[in-house]
Amino acid sequence: MKVNGVAVTPPDPDARLLDYLRDDLGLTGAKEGCGMGECGSCTVLLDGTPVCSCLMLVRQAEDAEVTTVEGLPRTAVQDAFVEGQAVQCGFCIAGMVVSASALLAAHPDPSDEQIRTALEGNLCRCTGYGSIVRAVRKAAAS
Amino acid sequence: MTKNPAPRSSSPRTMAEVDRRDPATWLLAGGTDLLVRRRAGLHQGPVTDVSRLRDAPEPVRETPGGILRLSALAPLSVLAAELGDRLPALVAAIACFASGQIRNRATLGGNLANASPAADTVPPLVAYGAVVGLRGPAGTHEVPVAEFATGPGRTCLAPGEWIEAVEVPPPPGIDTGSPETAADAGAEDRSGSTGVVARSGFRKVAGRRALAISVVSLAWAWAEGPGGALRDVRLAAGAVAPVVVRCPGAEAVLEGRVPDRDVIAKAVEALDGDISPISDLRASAAYRRRALKGALVEALTRRIS
Repeated sequence: MKVNGVAVTPPDPDARLLDYLRDDLGLTGAKEGCGMGECGSCTVLLDGTPVCSCLMLVRQAEDAEVTTVEGLPRTAVQDAFVEGQAVQCGFCIAGMVVSASALLAAHPDPSDEQIRTALEGNLCRCTGYGSIVRAVRKAAAS
Repeated sequence: MTKNPAPRSSSPRTMAEVDRRDPATWLLAGGTDLLVRRRAGLHQGPVTDVSRLRDAPEPVRETPGGILRLSALAPLSVLAAELGDRLPALVAAIACFASGQIRNRATLGGNLANASPAADTVPPLVAYGAVVGLRGPAGTHEVPVAEFATGPGRTCLAPGEWIEAVEVPPPPGIDTGSPETAADAGAEDRSGSTGVVARSGFRKVAGRRALAISVVSLAWAWAEGPGGALRDVRLAAGAVAPVVVRCPGAEAVLEGRVPDRDVIAKAVEALDGDISPISDLRASAAYRRRALKGALVEALTRRIS
């Protein structure tokens, strides 16, 4: 397995991927909100595809490249979230940024509908989503 | 009696190894149901991870007879992308299945094995007359999707058996000899050269668009003749009975008829006898009846509007 480009050897293949990332590697960007795939706070990229790291065992990612929010390049997405005040408590934001980055990698100029669909698996209890969708739109335009 | 060593979790790389696994282990594919159960303490013990098989079936394979063989192990997002404009009811069900993250992991096999009455991929498969391809120590055999779940959370899987693929015959109205496609914007239709149009689709009623368990769902498939009469009508409803059910009463009303106002009213009335919904935390039985009827009206009136 590679995490953020670095080859790693997880000690326990039956740990959840999220727990390995956070507890063993100290990558605390991905967070456990619901632990059942509904909130998206634990979203990471598995070979470039967004997945919930709380719903995977380490053994299922052994051949894969895992990218967490820490491994994303500092891009327009993060800047747009900050500048657009799309972050309030911040708990969901790592997942939001990972999902938005995957969207923009696949669709550099997404429609609002595509943005909302790409973020439908990420819940935010603070912002009401408007500022988040605007931030993604701005990041796409920049 | 000698005691076998306790089974351990494993990640086999071939289907034959999965056939030989300790039947006491649970299969782990996408994990989007099983890991939720494990976290809740409802499941413990070793798993056999089938998400990394080297010889897993390809996601979608079209056989010469026009049968589509879908891998039970491919993520739903991959299946939908590979299907394109084929099986529009299934593609529509996948589009509103949970969220992108879940669709990137969840599988058809897992959705079937979980055996929820509200499973969103099942009504389309039942409407299309699909068959589950099972394999295990005793070899392979097939079971209609409509007979696979025997109750909420229960299936006809024998110990050691597992789901390899789902085979979907050509939907009503698809001319397998010359599958010319003429999909409209809704990706609902494929027409052959005979003037017969294949219609199929899926409607889900739920609390929100994403990440919601269906209150009711309806999949439909039929062939529409040049005069608008429906043939080979199949309706399959989710979350209105212990398992996904066909709606033979409503189907019989619609068969061979042009769905005008009277016919639609009679079909909606007949639907009552086809289902046995319960009241639960998501909706009352009465609401489920009304919502399913509304879904059927929508499915039919989109054709005559």
